Amino acid sequence: MAKIKLDIFRFDEAVDTVPHRDLVEIDAPETITVLDALETAKAEVDGSISFRRSCRSAICGSCSMNVNGVTSLACKTNCKDVIKDDGTIAVDPMPNFQPMKDMVVHMDPFWDKYARLKPYLQAKDKDSDHETERRVSPDDMKKLVDVANCIMCATCYALCPVVSVDPAFAGPAAIAYAYRFIEDVRDAKRDERIAQISEDYLWLCAHCYACSYCPKHVEPNNRIVDVKRAAIKDRVMMNERGPRHALVVSKTIKQTGMLAETEVILGTIGRFNVIGLVKALAPLGPRMALRGKQPPVFVKPIPKVDEVRTIFEALEVPVS
Amino acid sequence: MSATLLPEDRALDSHRASRSRETKRYGFFPGCVAKESCKELFNSTMLLADKLGVELIELTAASCCGASVVNDVNRDVARVLNARTYAQAEALGLDDVITICSTCTGHMRAANKELLESEERMDQANAILGKFGAKYNGGVMVRHLLWMLIDDIGLDNLRKMVVRPLNGLKVAPFYGCHIIRPENVNGWESARNPHSLEDLIEALGGEAVDYAGKTRCCGFHVQLEKDGIATDMVGQNMRMAKDNGAEAVITPCPLCHLALDGYQQDAGARWGRTDLPTFHLPQLVAYALGVPAEKLGLNKHLVDPREIMVQRELIS
Repeated sequence: MAKIKLDIFRFDEAVDTVPHRDLVEIDAPETITVLDALETAKAEVDGSISFRRSCRSAICGSCSMNVNGVTSLACKTNCKDVIKDDGTIAVDPMPNFQPMKDMVVHMDPFWDKYARLKPYLQAKDKDSDHETERRVSPDDMKKLVDVANCIMCATCYALCPVVSVDPAFAGPAAIAYAYRFIEDVRDAKRDERIAQISEDYLWLCAHCYACSYCPKHVEPNNRIVDVKRAAIKDRVMMNERGPRHALVVSKTIKQTGMLAETEVILGTIGRFNVIGLVKALAPLGPRMALRGKQPPVFVKPIPKVDEVRTIFEALEVPVS
Repeated sequence: MSATLLPEDRALDSHRASRSRETKRYGFFPGCVAKESCKELFNSTMLLADKLGVELIELTAASCCGASVVNDVNRDVARVLNARTYAQAEALGLDDVITICSTCTGHMRAANKELLESEERMDQANAILGKFGAKYNGGVMVRHLLWMLIDDIGLDNLRKMVVRPLNGLKVAPFYGCHIIRPENVNGWESARNPHSLEDLIEALGGEAVDYAGKTRCCGFHVQLEKDGIATDMVGQNMRMAKDNGAEAVITPCPLCHLALDGYQQDAGARWGRTDLPTFHLPQLVAYALGVPAEKLGLNKHLVDPREIMVQRELIS
């Protein structure tokens, strides 16, 4: 048995204006999970400690919270892996959500983003028109099973730095779930779904891979890239800055072997979009120029750039 | 600190990394930004290599790594572009490739992992490389300069080489996403709780500042997608660093440098002024090892690092 000191965030929106912290000490083996530690603290020390939980087996997705500052499922996190040298474990509610009571948060923005996806199969005809089930080949199903493992725990949403500054961003889980229907051969709304998730800022993903910490290995980071490729393949909402950026980067690499910074800026925002360019570049552009730090206007192609072009052509990479 | 290597690295490490350690010859992949808007990074890396007595041989015909963006249009192109770079490195006998950008590190390693894990992908890449007579045999390892400094030079040796300690300058590490995540691609240190930059800062005589933003995103990759997003991400992270006492920031990634250095001023309106100068990793190491400050391109930074360096009596 060891002493585990839980350093717990305490807040009740009904009565508190500011949160405070309680240090709750329990006697328990270090091998228990953080959720078990919280259950023990609630049962033996302070019955008012609040947190969501149900299955205790990383299936229900209820107990996401910050453990020592990193969002995790409390039921999947072992105390011995996170306990600090002084015997404490800090427990906080997930970031990117409004706290309700202790570790319980208002989940509504997260569910709203799911609801916008229409997260159910929309086939082109009625089930009653079919004499047999709708068959999906093993290869087509393989694409969907990883995402079907999502337990909607919102760990990825809480970890997402873009959500933290722009709540309009759909977030990793919703985009991964959009992928689940976009790539479902039975679904008839592929392009509508791509357009809708593009409107919810698909292209605002910052490529940070924070969502690669997904406790169920859904890898939303990779599914986001899959949806972007689907958007480019189907040419949906191609005049947005996101797809323009991806394509102009490809184009400059094909032409020069390098990512030509000036051309990428012009190609993304639009070289004739003077107002857009001024808004995006001022006052940073002139400040950089003053320091002699502006990107070069022309980039000299690398030696043997023909080889790079051969690669782009062999793979039929779109560049516009 | 002992390095945690991926299985494919571990299998190859015994002869390759140690060989580079002895010969002090490395393949060098500077990446696009160090050749375009952050030339001071390229220059200070070369000056640092001189001080360390290692030879960085630039892979001059290498292409862009794909910058995490070309993946968005095609699943194979970044992998094959990087296979071409590795084939060049192998042909030059430079199988230990050093990068100076977190994004290059992550994406070149991801490509290598995909190639080494799948014969099918390696064959696909070599079928295309074969059109111009190149072939990748799977013998290249990609590491960031930061890892090379710690694994090959060693913190103890670096400590001995310091001629101008940082006088307790309070430096906040900013890792940049792609040098730590995804963990199954990088894996050299814990992505959730890395400490290589902290170790390095302390070896140079500085004081490392801990803050939650150190492993978060600078927003560089979405700076053009929607105005103001990167500014807010920079402001949020630099606010945390400043509130925890930072006087400067160090980053192993020129993309992070561009965002942190460039957007702090605009971020001030929402997040309060922070004005933290952002050093490129080799700038601060080279300074401590005795490279003259005026050669490090510090005058190119938008938030001028020379002010705090004068205050700390590092330069006059």
